[in-house]
Amino acid sequence: MVKRLSDMPEVEAHHLRRIECPTFDETPALPGKPLSKRRIALISTAGLHRRGDRPFRPGDGSYRVIPAETPARDLVMSHISVNFDRTGFQQDHNVAFPIDRLRELVDEGVVGSMASMHYSFMGAFPPDAAEPHAQHLAGLLKQDAVDAALLVPV
Amino acid sequence: MGALGHFLERQGIPTASISLVREHTETIRPPRALWVTFELGRPLGIPDDADFQRRVLRATAELLERTDGPLIVDYPEEVAEEADFTGWACPINLTPRATDTLAAEIDRLATWHDQSVARTGRTTVGVSGLDMPSAGILLSEALAGHLPPAQALKEAIDDLRAYYLEAASAFPDPGTAKKRKAWLWDETLFGRALLDLQPKLAASEDPQHRILGNLTLIPASERHRLAKA
Repeated sequence: MVKRLSDMPEVEAHHLRRIECPTFDETPALPGKPLSKRRIALISTAGLHRRGDRPFRPGDGSYRVIPAETPARDLVMSHISVNFDRTGFQQDHNVAFPIDRLRELVDEGVVGSMASMHYSFMGAFPPDAAEPHAQHLAGLLKQDAVDAALLVPV
Repeated sequence: MGALGHFLERQGIPTASISLVREHTETIRPPRALWVTFELGRPLGIPDDADFQRRVLRATAELLERTDGPLIVDYPEEVAEEADFTGWACPINLTPRATDTLAAEIDRLATWHDQSVARTGRTTVGVSGLDMPSAGILLSEALAGHLPPAQALKEAIDDLRAYYLEAASAFPDPGTAKKRKAWLWDETLFGRALLDLQPKLAASEDPQHRILGNLTLIPASERHRLAKA
């Protein structure tokens, strides 16, 4: 179990402290429909993609498309970092990319519907490298009538 | 992760994120975050526990209805560390011997990897496009001094790492994930090969080799553990 950085083994905490985090002057938090009416996309930063799609490279701020119907056996991870557990994902993809859980929340009526396309970036990207891709992605999400995105780190 | 929330929300897409490192999230201040205390790499908490994962995802999604961001909510459930049954030992002798080779080690794990695929219906091997014997040859050639481009080597090594850990998960007594990771570094020729490769990459004139050698080959926690041992 991990708590604060101060509770982690120093070597791991040191690694995480070295990651530079961007700051933002303002944080908008937009209103929207009730959750039960929203169409939702998953966006991972685990460096996931379909087998055969382009692997991620150092400094890569781009994203890969994961269609909703992608079978779990086609998902691979090419995140460049070695400083997180991958055995959980090897055992069950939902522990990092909860696509089946999102589907269940839709079936239960908690969430309105799920997007036809989901996405993965590779985390710890330089923000400047990811921003243009994220802006482009926002346009694609709107085309897919997506009302909100759930962001899942690794 | 948090930066993406800002970028998308500014473009009109509301977001809610899971946070694994509270300090990072406190700095970035994304619109809505659910902080969890789970291990890095496991943002939904527990593999093969659909109910647990669904509770985490639902708690994240429910934050979407709030507009008082930036906000960080602490998720109340925690994950206990996996029970560690001491005495775990590899059922077949995989301990490197003088006559053993990386190629032979890769070969004898194939049957266990097949078991893993049969049980889970999937494998996460397959980033490099190489079969495992070929990935092993690439690594052996790198050790012999013929360093291939860093990206090709990284992809081959990541595939081998997934192959070894998936294979070990199918052993009759697979132990905990933590034990299997220690096994990879302490008891396999593959782990030994990576440790031997590290200084060669770090000394390369190619900056991409140096990034691989110094940052993305050996986990910081393993370096620390091995340095102490």
